[in-house]
Amino acid sequence: MKRTILSLAIATISMIAFAQKKTSTSATIAFDASTAIDDLPKAENKTAIAAIDPEKNTVQFEAAIKNFAFSNPRIQDHFNQKGWLNSDEFPKATFNGVITNPSAVNFKKDGTYTVNVEGDLTIKGKTQKVTTPATIVVSGKTLKTNAAFNIKLADFGVEGQPITAGKVSGEPKITVAAELN
Amino acid sequence: MLIAIVAYFYYATRTHEDTAGLTVDYTVEAIPFIKEFEKDYKAANKKYAEKIIAVKGIVTATEPADTTLNIKMADTTTGSYLIFAFQNQHMPEAKRVKEGDEVVIKGSCSDGVYSEILGTYFISFKRSTIEN
Repeated sequence: MKRTILSLAIATISMIAFAQKKTSTSATIAFDASTAIDDLPKAENKTAIAAIDPEKNTVQFEAAIKNFAFSNPRIQDHFNQKGWLNSDEFPKATFNGVITNPSAVNFKKDGTYTVNVEGDLTIKGKTQKVTTPATIVVSGKTLKTNAAFNIKLADFGVEGQPITAGKVSGEPKITVAAELN
Repeated sequence: MLIAIVAYFYYATRTHEDTAGLTVDYTVEAIPFIKEFEKDYKAANKKYAEKIIAVKGIVTATEPADTTLNIKMADTTTGSYLIFAFQNQHMPEAKRVKEGDEVVIKGSCSDGVYSEILGTYFISFKRSTIEN
């Protein structure tokens, strides 16, 4: 009897652990707007927040705009200026989405799964729909996820001479990587 | 014309200086520093954003960040935290730090932002280095 109760308790705790939202405060988001004539406009933010809820199949990210680190200080300044990301007024970028094919992933079984994620990406106060495939690696209680997609800067109100001159790509690649516990 | 070319190459090839050699704008203790952001994050951002700050505190977590590592100092009563990403040349020192260590970390404070996901404030640093 005692053994049965213990087994049930362990099973219940395991199910609760799986159902809990998985988070990371050290997700990496890379922004690459480099072009054939300028290799500098690219940056990484290694302190983004990520969350996946295996119960609700939701996917969320938040990143402080000012913590995108460029190698070149001048480009770092431009990136944050009012005419570009205006990070004083819009200090973070957010993504709120869902896994649209939840049957493609089993969060209770170790493995590598490819899912489709769709959601709202908000940058500089403007929200656009984003759809992207993503990889989720389930390893015990840890999830590792990767995704890459392109955005149109003009959709987020980011335009200017460096884009028209070909120094900054108008459709930068965004790469996301996170280990969630 | 020559001046314009020289200026272009100066700015295009310039990289951030090693934070270890930069003058500190503020020296703070981790928990009171976090409290300043929790009390009025706009005022705190105005004071500290993009400044070089030396923070003394207890490491509450070290976290892998892709191929690198971040260090956290959290206020365990509220969940708000400081998080430090390191300059590549200072990653070896950062990797030697363990949870529970008291350290001084110097870095460029990006800003403090409220996380809707976590329900806490997070204050991010970039290009950090270990001071002790």
